[in-house]
Amino acid sequence: MKTAFRNTIIAFVLSGFLISCSNDDEENLDGTFGDVELFFDNGMNGDELILGSAYSNSNDENLTVNRLNYIISNVILYKEDGSEYIYPKEKSYFIISQESNIHEIHLEDIPAGNYTKVKFGLGVDEQRYLQGETAQQEFWDYATEHNLTWTWSTGYRFINFEGTFTSSNNTEPLNYQIHQGSNSETDNYREITLNMPSSARVRNNKLPIIHIVADANKIADGTNKIVLFDNLNTGGTNASIMGGENLIKIAANTMQMFVVDHVHNGEGSHD
Amino acid sequence: MCLSVLAIISCNKDDGYTGIPEDKPFNFVIPENFPPMAQDISGNSPTEQGVALGRKLFYDNKLSRNNTISCSFCHEQAFAFTHHGHDLSHGIDNLLGIRNAPAVQNMAFQSEYFYDGASNGIQLLSIVPIHNPVEMDDNLSNIASKLAMDDDYVQRFQSAFENGEISSSNILNALAQFMTVMISADSKYDKYVRNEPGGTMSQLELQGLDLFQSKCATCHVTDIFTDSKFRNNGLPINPNLNDLGRETVTGFERDRYKFKVPSLRNVALTKPYMHDGRFGSLESVLNFYSNGVQQTQNLDEILQQNGVLGIPLTENEKQAIIAFLKTLTDETYINNPLFYEKT
Repeated sequence: MKTAFRNTIIAFVLSGFLISCSNDDEENLDGTFGDVELFFDNGMNGDELILGSAYSNSNDENLTVNRLNYIISNVILYKEDGSEYIYPKEKSYFIISQESNIHEIHLEDIPAGNYTKVKFGLGVDEQRYLQGETAQQEFWDYATEHNLTWTWSTGYRFINFEGTFTSSNNTEPLNYQIHQGSNSETDNYREITLNMPSSARVRNNKLPIIHIVADANKIADGTNKIVLFDNLNTGGTNASIMGGENLIKIAANTMQMFVVDHVHNGEGSHD
Repeated sequence: MCLSVLAIISCNKDDGYTGIPEDKPFNFVIPENFPPMAQDISGNSPTEQGVALGRKLFYDNKLSRNNTISCSFCHEQAFAFTHHGHDLSHGIDNLLGIRNAPAVQNMAFQSEYFYDGASNGIQLLSIVPIHNPVEMDDNLSNIASKLAMDDDYVQRFQSAFENGEISSSNILNALAQFMTVMISADSKYDKYVRNEPGGTMSQLELQGLDLFQSKCATCHVTDIFTDSKFRNNGLPINPNLNDLGRETVTGFERDRYKFKVPSLRNVALTKPYMHDGRFGSLESVLNFYSNGVQQTQNLDEILQQNGVLGIPLTENEKQAIIAFLKTLTDETYINNPLFYEKT
């Protein structure tokens, strides 16, 4: 089976080579479809994110990250001519989880073509949220498994970023929980558009991988600075950030959190 | 002869048990004196089977961790679906909550739920009491597995939903359908505004209506009698609870001590009053508004006009307003067999 597959690949590569020699521009893609993968590579300010490791930020705080899970939704792909392909909304809710090693979003049946931009939502949009579970299917259960729901109120956590921190004010580590989300007062869902350095060539025989680097450091240390020590509870034991102005600031920060690092236009494997 | 009679009987008995019963839209009327619905129910319109399933779930103890507490435990029909006789409602293992259970009525016409707006969607709101450790302390997927062991539920979910699944979403949808049709709109006041028989109001009640409209209807607007907004009405802070109210949900200090304006329908039945159930009578509530309002953080502007705290009211005015409030009692609603427990 595997050998057969390899042979097919070789055949494709060869035929691709032949075709590209003759008339690449005239390639007729009408009515053909392919798959695309969005790969989310989580980091902290240029370093690889390793749960349990400590990272310093520009707020003079040292964060040990124990959890980074988030919701990606409403994916739209744009071709070089500006036309868009909206991935079907009912299938367009995904979770990225460092602890569960979920980094990929596999999109199926995308019209073949060369795509140069991708847009996605961070979280769950209000319209979809208010349509309730009928629209979200079993996404609530799935999100609950990954600690991405609130139950004391009925909302999704768009980002769950947790760990401990130390600073010049506290040498003993204290817990922090940053739970980004919306409430009926503020809609903190944001859509993020990213340019790709090279196009993702969607074909029925290829699997382009759009490699996105997510810098989790930006959540608290982006354009807006959120000092964890300033957000300690009255007991001074814990910094819980789950409401108010902080969520609006985080929403702005996350607009700069993602970048497409590169695009693989191969047949599938990814390192 | 005997055989054919048996056959007929068994046919009748089988009704609804062989195969999947036909489902059809639940026939309910939006009262003409009501504002438009505040919830989009297009994705989950009530059906007969869906509502019947929602009712069964509403009364089922399986919706709690140790199968002891149902929704109806704190929401009793005779008291417009409130927890009669309790200031703070208690739930599983007799644990005490921090608030008084609100009435369940005309839910689709409201845009926010719970005293702090912990939910603003009718299809999701049941998540809150189901998960609250002092209410039902369970979770949806666990409830789904409990229900899946019950043949009656298996059949009911199949009839009520296209995909037939016993799932978190269908549990929530059935409860939402039931709450959507829980419409209270048949009080003496309703009959009065719709010019229907039985709508004759006394002089005192009419005087009360007039006073209500000038002194109370800024917040208790429309024939739902709430603007679904969050306001601090100047209650003295209970230091034992120090309930921050709306701030708990939004995280904004400007929302501290604000609570949702409740609907006043069936208010004569829903004592005790206020988010913490501190007042045992409508007289106490009106005494509070005339004499007891305190200048606390984020006190609503409406309650401090021209340097005067609260709503000035004479004793006669209070009696008239109370007479009017009693016309909001809807005997049809609290006796409607559609909302009874049926096993």
